[in-house]
Amino acid sequence: MNGTLGPRRLQWLNKVPEVTLSFWVVKVLSTTVGETGADFLAVNAGWGQTVTRVAMGSLLALALVIQLRTRRYTPWIYWLAVVLVSIVGTQVTDLLTDGLGVGLYVSTPAFAIALVAVFATWYALERTLSIQSIVTPRRELFYWATVLFTFALGTAAGDLATEALGLGFKLGTVVFGALILVAYVAWRRGANAVATFWIAYVLTRPFGAALGDLLTQARSYGGLGLGAMWTSALFLAVIVGFVALAHANVGSREDRQIAG
Amino acid sequence: MTGRSRRLPFAIATAALAALACAAAACSTKSSDPAARAPAGEAVGQSRNGASRLGDLSPFRAIAADVSSMVGSGDLPAAKARIKDLEVQWDAAEAALKPRAPADWHRLDKAIDRALAALRAPTPNAADSRQAVGDLLQTMDNRGPAKP
Repeated sequence: MNGTLGPRRLQWLNKVPEVTLSFWVVKVLSTTVGETGADFLAVNAGWGQTVTRVAMGSLLALALVIQLRTRRYTPWIYWLAVVLVSIVGTQVTDLLTDGLGVGLYVSTPAFAIALVAVFATWYALERTLSIQSIVTPRRELFYWATVLFTFALGTAAGDLATEALGLGFKLGTVVFGALILVAYVAWRRGANAVATFWIAYVLTRPFGAALGDLLTQARSYGGLGLGAMWTSALFLAVIVGFVALAHANVGSREDRQIAG
Repeated sequence: MTGRSRRLPFAIATAALAALACAAAACSTKSSDPAARAPAGEAVGQSRNGASRLGDLSPFRAIAADVSSMVGSGDLPAAKARIKDLEVQWDAAEAALKPRAPADWHRLDKAIDRALAALRAPTPNAADSRQAVGDLLQTMDNRGPAKP
């Protein structure tokens, strides 16, 4: 039915990366860069919160349009969208908390419910939540809606841990790191792969934030005193390195997908 | 499902991040407590009965005092320029200070926001600025204005 081109040439290849070492490293680091980057623009560069929100929201919309229009996984677009979702997800939570006075005790369960609703709709329509076959526009919209809500939930839950429990970044790094480890062990022992993936995805938000704070905060506050600029530069360099590597590998992955 | 090829990198990534986190947390523990507990030499940033729950606020109070004297002498542009130092340093220290006493942190954060807004108004007003910066200093000294 697809004439001489053959059916596979007209289909999307999986639009999202495989879950590998570099996936999780870049996910954690882009979380940190997202937060420090938004802060830098709003405060240090003097844009203010409103201008930063509008600018980042527009950039995210643009990145998502580009991402949705591609026919295959393109690492730099995908990760640019993740970094921007990280920024905007954080801003949404901050706006609710500081701007509109919605408490974290309300927003945290609300984001959790919204996330469950996205999963329920996704499953009802697609009969799968697989992240290995994001091959249609509808599935990809579900995927990015989920990503946005996991970042909002991760931000709210992390802030709630700070507000309610006084959880600082040192203990926070250990606690959230340990929870990610629990998700990993559960997955190894046969727990649902999709569920453990998204749980880990939520947890990497507060983990990445705490890890970033550990590096940026002054030594007198118990951090390593690298400062926001050097930490962001270091993390950004690592991200760029991994993304460049992913670009080099993308060709071989597509060959496998087309062959398979 | 590709089995081990997916699991192994996840294991390495998790272990590496956990190791980095533990190492960093361990080696930074020693330096953390003095800042939290050390009573400041002066009566700034403290309640009457001891150190502020937020720790030593004297670096922030010193900037606020500068801003206050600039506003007092009517130099609002200089005050506007100087208060940015407070904004930047306060923001940079958020992760360290906020968990110590979230409610106190928010109260002071709002007071800083109000002082920033007054000095950054399209046409800054000397009386409003003096009021906002005065409230800020009072909040830092834990004798804050009555409003919540």
